[in-house]
Amino acid sequence: MAGRVIASATTAILLAVAPAIAGNTLVKQGVAASVARSALTVMPDREWNRMGARPGRRSETWTLDGATLNDLTFYGAIETGKTLFRKVDRKHRPLPRYSSRMLLTDIPMLLENSYRIALGTSLMTIDTVQPTLLAGSKAVRFTYTCTRPGEDVERRGEAVAAIIGRKLFMMSYEAPAIFYFDRDLAAFRRLVATAWLAEGTR
Amino acid sequence: MRVATRLALATTLVVLFGLSSAAGETPAAVPLPPYAGAYQPQTVDERGAWMMADEAERSLRDSPALIGDPALNAYLQRVLCRTVGEDRCRGIRIYILRVADVNASMMANGTLQIWSGILLRMQNEAELAGVLGHEFAHFERRHQLNHFRKARTATDIAAWAGLAGGRYGPTVAFSAQTSIYAFGREQETESDMLSSRYMQASHYDGHSVGAFWERLMDEADATALGRHRRSTRFDRVSYFDTHPATLERARTFHAAAASAPGGGDDEHAAWTAALARWREAWLEDQLKLNDFGGTEYLLAQLGRDGWTQDLLFARGELYRMRGNPRDLIAAADFYREAIILAPDHAEAHRGLGLTLLRRGREVDAETGRAELRRYLTLKPAATDAAMMAALLS
Amino acid sequence: MFGRIVAVFFACAGLFTLAGPVAAQEKSAVRPGFVLKPGSARILLFRPRILVGAQSTGAMFEPNADWTEQARENLGKALAAAQTTLGNTVVVAPEAIGKAAARLAAYQALFATVADAVVEYQFFAGNRLPTKKRAGQFDWTLGPGVADLAKDTGCDYALFIGTEDQYGSTGRKIFQFVAAVARVPIVSGSHKGQAGLVDLRTGDLVWLNADMRMGGDVRDPAGASKRMMQLLEDFPGRSLDAAANAESRVATR
Repeated sequence: MAGRVIASATTAILLAVAPAIAGNTLVKQGVAASVARSALTVMPDREWNRMGARPGRRSETWTLDGATLNDLTFYGAIETGKTLFRKVDRKHRPLPRYSSRMLLTDIPMLLENSYRIALGTSLMTIDTVQPTLLAGSKAVRFTYTCTRPGEDVERRGEAVAAIIGRKLFMMSYEAPAIFYFDRDLAAFRRLVATAWLAEGTR
Repeated sequence: MRVATRLALATTLVVLFGLSSAAGETPAAVPLPPYAGAYQPQTVDERGAWMMADEAERSLRDSPALIGDPALNAYLQRVLCRTVGEDRCRGIRIYILRVADVNASMMANGTLQIWSGILLRMQNEAELAGVLGHEFAHFERRHQLNHFRKARTATDIAAWAGLAGGRYGPTVAFSAQTSIYAFGREQETESDMLSSRYMQASHYDGHSVGAFWERLMDEADATALGRHRRSTRFDRVSYFDTHPATLERARTFHAAAASAPGGGDDEHAAWTAALARWREAWLEDQLKLNDFGGTEYLLAQLGRDGWTQDLLFARGELYRMRGNPRDLIAAADFYREAIILAPDHAEAHRGLGLTLLRRGREVDAETGRAELRRYLTLKPAATDAAMMAALLS
Repeated sequence: MFGRIVAVFFACAGLFTLAGPVAAQEKSAVRPGFVLKPGSARILLFRPRILVGAQSTGAMFEPNADWTEQARENLGKALAAAQTTLGNTVVVAPEAIGKAAARLAAYQALFATVADAVVEYQFFAGNRLPTKKRAGQFDWTLGPGVADLAKDTGCDYALFIGTEDQYGSTGRKIFQFVAAVARVPIVSGSHKGQAGLVDLRTGDLVWLNADMRMGGDVRDPAGASKRMMQLLEDFPGRSLDAAANAESRVATR
């Protein structure tokens, strides 16, 4: 039963030298930005960086200091039967799929289970779940804590999700629990408050 | 040309190496067993392996995944000592990690880690003894060291082969890589043999280990079926399996147990008591793996001696998560059965309430809201209380 | 965050460690406006994290305890010697225990994450973040909570140091040569070093020197000395005379 340990060590080595995907672009302050190739639109009150690498077809990530230090991810118009991000190992570790039949209270679990499977960790917990609004629709706001295997950095996260026209819209923010999470949480919440869906493109 | 020649030469070496180790590897005149008190590693390779293990053990000790529960840790240590003997077990430190996957592993310096996923699947103490004995055997025979030497040779070949490219490149790279795994398999078989000898000496029922492997195999089948894949049940060895095919393994244990005198204990009651505090949390981790078939099989196995409230609740959650209309009907039944056994099981009322709301019929919705109100009465400070209250308004 | 996971699967397709573009890359930076006058500050030094091994032809890391021991001793001596050239008082932090150890480990992990982020998103031009591109800018921090690590020490700054060396084995070096002929760039060995100075009042990273390809063979005293020189190169507030002396001492070995 030692094989997995060796295999993951090799993966870690390869991971360390995996070439990064370039093409990060500037998100300007005060200019409306439509995100995640969807009608979801936000009005940033400060500069952000849009990462060239996307977690999935219908998502995109913004950051201030790099995705390992602050990660703001948008999920736009996820349809029934789709996963939140690219499948890691479709055959052996399939990710759960979104369904428009889900209740809002099922969304925290959808994100939690997707993280657990994609990151291979049991150290992911949903801490609080509350009602809120996103783009004028009924939404759920939840907080979580997670630690990736082989890393000593504990991360905290907050996400807001709504089901609008049977599709899932979500914004999540996550950063190291030490200092980083608290520093930019307010910026995330302000951004969530500006979110709307562009007309006619739903 | 030059590359190709080197490649051929190197491949030959690997084949020879493989043959010699297959012919039976007898560790000749090792001065001291590694479990002897204050044993110090002897060679450059062994010191290197111990240093890495020491470093890894330090981070394991501080791992956020570590389950510190003193009672559970003491119990595992006791079982290990009964299995391999008081003198030997002192060389081992056990670390229980909360990982919802089936694994246990041993490092060169006597660090044994065991994951919650494998513990969740055991049904008695004898099965635990079998797994701990197996890992101890790796330590006793210094397998980590041999495995490391062999792995180095094999990946060396893979790098050369990949560079050569062309028609033969990928093929050679493939077989060189698999030879790492093949070497692992021989060691695994050796450990299995040694482990069943420990079981006999310590009066544990050797049969139970075979049953454990059989269940793991059946569960893998159930997982595959649930995902519309073919069975993974191999009578032959799959290329990338580090371990001997599980069927072969189950047979090894059954054969060893059959030749042993007397039945031996399985200590079922002690096992159930030791696990009681943790089963619900580990079941929850299992539910989140998006593995309907495997989880359904596992629950049925654990429910063989009677469906307890934690199993019924877990089954309700499993069906509610999949969420087909027929699943929602089944889920509601499981929650109701759990509530009969434990009327104040708050989460069962929550699950039942959400299930009924999802059914989308007004008659169900009313009952669903009543269940959620019951949940909030039982657990007013629940982390999702505000969200549930919003569903009620 | 999932980009990396996806990258693993692409990376696993090939066993090669391909070298990135060899373009000139920044290796160190100072926070604008930061000046450290010689003799003006007390610097808290944490036990460096040191790991040494070999990289076999297949890029597998082979740990070597003897080398690591040598490196620990050599780098320790080199650091002790270099300390006197830093132009300020250096206080070696006592080994932390219990809760303090966990807190230190958390900050060391955060330092490594921040240092890696600096290399990936600021020093490495190909992946630079637009907001980190502006000339003269260097704005990175561990947060003010870092002050807890230095309670009652009277220190103004903390110095974090980490090295990880993988030496190419002979097989790897020959392979590298053949690969060069075949026009496939392969890196033989990997020599990662990070040294960072953190302002204990603000948690700001005031100086960082980080590189994936450092020089100096840490297994022998002269090489370790060279590595330490490289790690502490451009260290702010260094007394130049002492530094020059130390360097000439190394050069004459």
